[in-house]
Amino acid sequence: MDNLTLGDLTIEVRVTPETVFQCTWKGKSNERNPQEVLKPWFDTLLTTVSQQGGAIEMHFDKIEHFNSSTITALIRLIQSCRKGGVKLTMVYDQSLKWQRLSFDALRVFEKNDDMFSLRSA
Amino acid sequence: MTAEPLDEIGFSIDMTVRNEWRNVDLLRTSVQNCFTAVFADVDGCHAIAMVTGELLENALKYGDWLSGDRAMFRLRVRGAKNNVVMVSVQNPLKPTDPNAAALTDTIAWINGFPKPEAAYRARMMQIVENEDSDVSMSQLGLVRVAFEGNCRLAAVVEDETVTVTAMLDLSPA
Repeated sequence: MDNLTLGDLTIEVRVTPETVFQCTWKGKSNERNPQEVLKPWFDTLLTTVSQQGGAIEMHFDKIEHFNSSTITALIRLIQSCRKGGVKLTMVYDQSLKWQRLSFDALRVFEKNDDMFSLRSA
Repeated sequence: MTAEPLDEIGFSIDMTVRNEWRNVDLLRTSVQNCFTAVFADVDGCHAIAMVTGELLENALKYGDWLSGDRAMFRLRVRGAKNNVVMVSVQNPLKPTDPNAAALTDTIAWINGFPKPEAAYRARMMQIVENEDSDVSMSQLGLVRVAFEGNCRLAAVVEDETVTVTAMLDLSPA
């Protein structure tokens, strides 16, 4: 799985021995329509992870900023992972108020199925 | 930044902006750096910067950049010693433009909730329910401003421009 570069944003992918695809977001996600590039990359990621029976961890604790269009793309990713039966965890920095607000709000998508979870770095 | 009596205004930014997308991040980071020099509150500085960025993005997405007067694209940020910061963005938009009604309706909808957090959650659920909708038009930006910036939004449409104002209270909770 290739890393993604989109303007000021880089997503680096590392696969653990347990087949967890750790995707580390760095820089800034500030494109006008990030979904145009993120969606096809997420789709490829989901297919790859699904084929290998793995899981996804999105790490945001190193990102400087993302715009609201990126949040919308993340909501779509949560939906796609649940539909595709792929476990998704989002890791964020609880000590940063903006990250705490952004990610705690996503807890509305946590269900008892254990398919989506949030955790502090 | 202009120097004015600190009893009235701690700082003031007032500038016209070229309608280029890359200017959003340039201004967002500039505002963040300026405010970091004023406040010790890093979280508050990030909130002001986020609000600035989202309002500028909104203006660029929904403003009238074809027939409107581009010189009317303006950013104003003002703060007083009482820890209240006002961020306002003005952009060209005819009152008859459907985006003007959509904007004022959205702000009325957000302000109709007892707390911005409830509006934010409601908007997220709408995004999920409208799975096939165009995500570039998700309109999460304004409700994010209200929720994460903990601020009150207002919009004024006049003289073929719209001005969206966000008032942030950075007083410790």
